[in-house]
Amino acid sequence: MPVAATLSSAGSDAGAAQSPSRSSSDAVAARSPSRSSSEAVAARIRVRYAKTGKLRFISAIDLGRLWERALRKAGLPIAYSEGFSPHPKISFPDALPVGCASTGEYAELTFAAPVAVDAAIRDLNAAFVDGCEVWQAVPVVHGAPRLSTLLAASLWQIDYPSDTDPCDVDAAVAALRAAQRVVIARHRKSETVEADLRPFVHDLVGSGTCVRAVLLRSEPPVRAGELHAALAAFRPDAAGRQALPEPTRFTRVAQGAPAENGVDEALSGARVALGASGDP
Amino acid sequence: MATSASSRESIWADLEPLLPQVRKPAQYTGGEGNIVVKDHRACSSSWLLVYPDAYEVGQPNQGVQILYEVLGEREGTVAERGYSPAADMEALLRQHGLPFFSLETHRPLRAFDVVAFSLATELGYTNLLTALDLGEMAVRAADRADDAPLVMVGGHAAFNPEPLAPFVDVVCAGDGEEFVGEVDDLVKAWRADRERGAGWPREELLEAIAEVDGAYVPRFYEAEYTRQGRLRGTFPRRRGVPYRVPKRTVSNLDAWPYPKRSVVPLTETVHERYSVEIFRGCTRGCRFCQAGMITRPVRERSKDTIKEMVDNGLAETGFEEVGLLSLSSADHSEIQGLCGEVADAYEGTATSLSLPSTRVDAFNVDLADELTRDGRRSGLTFAPEAGTERMRRVINKTVAEADMLATAEAAFSRGWRHIKLYFMIGLPTETDADVVGIAELGLKVLEVGKRYGKKNKVTVSVGGFVPKPHTPFQWAAQDSPEQLRHKIGLIKSRVGGEKGLNLRYHDPAPGVLEGILARGDRWVADAVQRAFELGARFDGWDECFDLELWRRALADAGLDEAWYTTRERDEAEVFPWEHLDSGLERDWLWTDWQEALAERELGDCRWIPCYDCGVCPGLDLEHQTGHLPIISAS
Ligand code: SF4
Repeated sequence: MPVAATLSSAGSDAGAAQSPSRSSSDAVAARSPSRSSSEAVAARIRVRYAKTGKLRFISAIDLGRLWERALRKAGLPIAYSEGFSPHPKISFPDALPVGCASTGEYAELTFAAPVAVDAAIRDLNAAFVDGCEVWQAVPVVHGAPRLSTLLAASLWQIDYPSDTDPCDVDAAVAALRAAQRVVIARHRKSETVEADLRPFVHDLVGSGTCVRAVLLRSEPPVRAGELHAALAAFRPDAAGRQALPEPTRFTRVAQGAPAENGVDEALSGARVALGASGDP
Repeated sequence: MATSASSRESIWADLEPLLPQVRKPAQYTGGEGNIVVKDHRACSSSWLLVYPDAYEVGQPNQGVQILYEVLGEREGTVAERGYSPAADMEALLRQHGLPFFSLETHRPLRAFDVVAFSLATELGYTNLLTALDLGEMAVRAADRADDAPLVMVGGHAAFNPEPLAPFVDVVCAGDGEEFVGEVDDLVKAWRADRERGAGWPREELLEAIAEVDGAYVPRFYEAEYTRQGRLRGTFPRRRGVPYRVPKRTVSNLDAWPYPKRSVVPLTETVHERYSVEIFRGCTRGCRFCQAGMITRPVRERSKDTIKEMVDNGLAETGFEEVGLLSLSSADHSEIQGLCGEVADAYEGTATSLSLPSTRVDAFNVDLADELTRDGRRSGLTFAPEAGTERMRRVINKTVAEADMLATAEAAFSRGWRHIKLYFMIGLPTETDADVVGIAELGLKVLEVGKRYGKKNKVTVSVGGFVPKPHTPFQWAAQDSPEQLRHKIGLIKSRVGGEKGLNLRYHDPAPGVLEGILARGDRWVADAVQRAFELGARFDGWDECFDLELWRRALADAGLDEAWYTTRERDEAEVFPWEHLDSGLERDWLWTDWQEALAERELGDCRWIPCYDCGVCPGLDLEHQTGHLPIISAS
């Protein structure tokens, strides 16, 4: 395992996606050097970061520029590729769909010279605009597995409007859990293909007006929007049940290894619980 | 039509759920780096600065950025920005009853005291009307309530504001830095009195603003026509307003070191860089160039100020590119030292430097070399503008062909691989031979290039010339789209299938509209409004522009396209913009027009004695450059 320069408490994950006040208190923790447990120095680091608020609407290309400028503004010596048009060495293992929020995004950064990890992240967070914040950073040790292999599962939260009947949520979740196959239509260019989501839904629960699910990595990835479409497609059979409305928000809460009742977060190894949603 | 309190608050909660339904949603979110967000309740005046085009085009605009900071630094003043919503967003806003909004706090346009539009080109006029209409404002200034926001315009196109005269309350002619502060003081007084129940009518505020240097209030002027429909002049109809409105000119650029903290966009725009104007104004005297004519005299920013601005600007933004802007950046008196020092400071930091300059000479290549020490020598741009030496004398951009080829040789021999050449067609006195000369020059440059590498390339870009107000070519006839298409055909057939030469040109149709709006009078306003009603938007975008729609609008307004475009004006012509004083003497402009027709060139008054164009004495200014003054022999 890489040495963890844990900047935020592992227990913060659960409520973060649900409540903005919780996530901003995590932000304070992330910026506070006194909470750090390491004075590691490294030229390659991996980070877990949040992309929330208005930044939900920027594309993957925009995100790359946002990182480059924040690194430059923070005066951090990010390395550049050789060649005609040098690119900063920042790799993002997977793209978050435009419109989704996340507290479980990951990136790997390569610097031209070793940096003090905690201080670098503090400066970087100060340089970011609202909506992007690094929660945790670890140096990459020699022989560490590729970042993408550490992200085998992701925990998603789908929020429905506050006037949604929680019983409708529970009914849809129960129907999906019971199903053998969950077939959805994927529109790719001119053709439409059918796909079965069920093998990639590791686990899911309903809780109040939100649904939380652990989705397994697949190619192409299962999108939270597809999961919602599947949930909303269940014909409510019980008396008085309604189909689920359009969600108000999709949030990728964390990524890591699939575990019982959640995921083991990729950088810290801490369990992020499936069931720990808005109303504890 | 009093605005209720609720309509002054943010519409973000209603807007956010719509964002997943539109293309490029990040252009509507705000939240960019370096924005200034102030509490409206704690401020005593508020400005909405609108660039009437898409965010990706408008966001990098230097004028808006400067005024945004100048106003934002003022105590008690809040300034926010707005851009035109694309068609999908406009439809959603209308469907949900939502107004045009600002980006910083998503407030409705009507919640501001001043709505100021930056007019870099004429092709944003229907977008301006869309913003007003979507902002729940009366489109015509005369129909506005006393407490409605003031509608202001500025920027280069505002030097002929007549096609917008009925829609705007105030026009700013010239530099805005000092102007906006003086208007802001008046707006604060107006609002304070209104808030304590002692409000004065809008007319009185406009009278006070009309006394600010550079302010033109169209409603206080009337255009008089002869019975034949020729303009007799535009005359003041209110005591105390100036007969001719002098343009505003900032004399010392070092006193206005903006932008300091440019907004850093979250999503892609046309120019993403920290830009600093290294000087304003240009006296090269290119006869087609409105920007050069209306911004005289030359006012340089000092090398030290520029370097300090670049240092701070990069630190504040994190941008990876610096632009050293001006109309002809190679002409700055300290340009060589400046480029060298900036290049030294950022060597090895993956920071790229750009120097827009259209000069065609070896010095320009030296500078470009200096700015690309890391060896990224891809493309170099020159703007000869015309294909023959005769034609270049007419437009007063004289470069000998031999010098041009020597410049190309210098560039290719030092590793540049691609030369882009910019030309205009439809210039006064132009013959087919001049047009074919464009293709031939391109081919000759390519031949030079091939000697240094088989893969070297030349791009020839051709645009249609549109005569502009306050230039010696304001009397000239504009080519019709048919004439321009014929000329493009000539170039195409001469270039043939030559590999390595890339010919680029635009559809000439939008040039018709640009011409009508550029030299239009107040009657044209009816056509602008009609076109807006018929659905015209984003006229500067090829995929949106619809000439037939505009022709319908012109017909409905009873206007003749040819009168405004292809007609050559005679010496007696009175122009609709003559009550706006750019400082240039009408007699000098006419003389220079005659000189053009006689194919005679004129030098740059930074290096030859003053030829009395009229600007300097009128403004009580002189060139502010580090160049040694020229002592006239006489
Ligand atoms: S007044 Fe004389 S010096 Fe000034 S811009 Fe005109 S020609 Fe040049």
